[in-house]
Amino acid sequence: MSGASETAALDSPAPRRTFWSAALMPWLLMSPALLIAIAFFGLPILFMGRMSFNAHIDQRFYVPDFTWDNYAAMLTDPTFRNAIWTTARLALISSIATVIIGYAFAMLVWLKPKRWRLAFVALALCPLLISEISIIFGWWMFFPKNGLLSYALVSSGLITDKISLMYTEFAAFVGLTYVTLPFCFFILLSIFDGIDKKVLEASADLGAAPLRTFHEVLLPLTKGGIAAAFAQSFIWAVGTYATPSALGPDTLWTIGYLIQEQMLGKHNWPRAAAFSIVLTVGVAIVMMIIRMLSSKRTALNG
Amino acid sequence: MADTSALELDRLRRAFGGVVAVDDVSIDVKRGEFVTLLGPSGSGKTSTLRLIGGFEKPDAGAIRINGGRVDHLPAYQRDTATIFQTGALFPHKTVAENVAYGLRMRGVARADIAPRVRQALDIVRLAGFEERYPAQMSGGQKQRVALARSMVVRPAILLFDEPLSALDLSLRLQLRAEIKRLHDEIGFSAIYVTHDQGEAMAMSSRVAVMRSGRIEQIDRPEKVFGEPASEFVYTFIGESCCLKTQMASGAAADADGATIDLRLANGLADGDWRLYVRPSRLQIDRADLDNRLKARLDFTEFLGDVHRYHFKAGRIELFVDHQGAIAHRPGDLVDIGWRSADMVAYR
Repeated sequence: MSGASETAALDSPAPRRTFWSAALMPWLLMSPALLIAIAFFGLPILFMGRMSFNAHIDQRFYVPDFTWDNYAAMLTDPTFRNAIWTTARLALISSIATVIIGYAFAMLVWLKPKRWRLAFVALALCPLLISEISIIFGWWMFFPKNGLLSYALVSSGLITDKISLMYTEFAAFVGLTYVTLPFCFFILLSIFDGIDKKVLEASADLGAAPLRTFHEVLLPLTKGGIAAAFAQSFIWAVGTYATPSALGPDTLWTIGYLIQEQMLGKHNWPRAAAFSIVLTVGVAIVMMIIRMLSSKRTALNG
Repeated sequence: MADTSALELDRLRRAFGGVVAVDDVSIDVKRGEFVTLLGPSGSGKTSTLRLIGGFEKPDAGAIRINGGRVDHLPAYQRDTATIFQTGALFPHKTVAENVAYGLRMRGVARADIAPRVRQALDIVRLAGFEERYPAQMSGGQKQRVALARSMVVRPAILLFDEPLSALDLSLRLQLRAEIKRLHDEIGFSAIYVTHDQGEAMAMSSRVAVMRSGRIEQIDRPEKVFGEPASEFVYTFIGESCCLKTQMASGAAADADGATIDLRLANGLADGDWRLYVRPSRLQIDRADLDNRLKARLDFTEFLGDVHRYHFKAGRIELFVDHQGAIAHRPGDLVDIGWRSADMVAYR
């Protein structure tokens, strides 16, 4: 066989083949991840979207239909509007608290010598090893009138009469913050770990006092991490249903609570699905806003 | 006169746990002087630099910059500027912003900052790179930005923390020459930490050789090389051959006690000796020199400019750098000679 004929045979179909493989290759490479995402995230949301247009007649879970009634009902329902406000407020406050505490904690672990690190990381992992229900039981020991908090405050002389913080919005806020803190901490720690600690010394060396260094160097370098940690906490806080309803007052109706009520209490699956879709879309919008705000930083900053 | 000193270290001491990192270190750096701290890793040179910069507090002793005590001041109130090993540029700031940083922190008027930044970047030959980010630059360029960022604030003393050790050889030599040129042109005062004796020799006004937290010798490079104060300084700076010898009533033996044919111009007292000679000062086939040793040629290495001939005499191994080929083959017994001035003996 001569080399010339082989080259000629390869030459002519080559352009078409490279075109097709170039166009297909990324999709082929992505397909396993794409299939998993579609099967486990895309399809359920699609089913839920379809469910939200069904009708609810008598005491049946749902009747196949195509109606906007469930969405129209939300616009007129003050309970739902209040729940949106309650959920957003609670999620926002607890996310801000989480980010501040998580940031301080992650910075501390980052700055401390390596030998402390394992102990701190193990400490942060602890809450993740306990189920949410057990943690709620823990708070039930902590917040009531005869609980740990009240006892500690009275015996330390800060207050004279026992107090109960159980079933208050504050308890719900503390509970939510506690649940979201570990995730926030690990996100921020990974961001801090990517920073060369010498830049802090360089900043001090050039005449910047500690606060100035924080503002000029550390904060800009961790901006992306703060946004990611906030987004993570916010999603979690918006979606969590058990903690706020178990620790908060009876009147603390979050969207999670309303969905649960529609689903399990009133057996109204289409309405529950419609609530869920609105919640999902709302969270997606918040995420997009956070991304837009945090991607303002320079394109190439290592 | 105290007012000619840029930096004075007075009996500085710092221990970490039980380990004394800096032990009784005193140095007086005159204005415009370039002093190098040279030593192996763990010799306390970087710790000394960090004490001067204010990143560590001394346990005892005083640090004076331009005559004023600074050892109680935090880093950001000291008139020093450090060039770090990794550069430590701010990755989120452009080159111009990096260089301007120290000026802004020192409250220099906004109108004066831009021309000074431009001038500093000109000096390190990086004009036109103002808008780049550190991630877009090479290692050598980053170190030049770090140099500009430190020099632009005109500190009382510049502190170099092994700034070239992360670069490859050719870049290291190039930047070394550049720092030397800048020092000659501008005349800044500097402390330069390195474990590379070539760097220390090439750049310094004075070299301080450090070992386990102490200064073994501080002097001009030629003096440190030519008249080392101790065996450690001799072996740390430059290459050397060590002849471990037992002397007994004028006769020499190797460490095992086997007799070797060693003739010395000045006899040594009985006992164990370590004789040192630089390989470049040893000469082959020179039975006429005052000091000589008969040794067997073992093998030859080609090093480019010279051949390195490895010899053995009993347990003693030595090597001679010699230009061109010699008439001997491995196994031949050869006369190696050297002058008395080129030899030091320690016991």
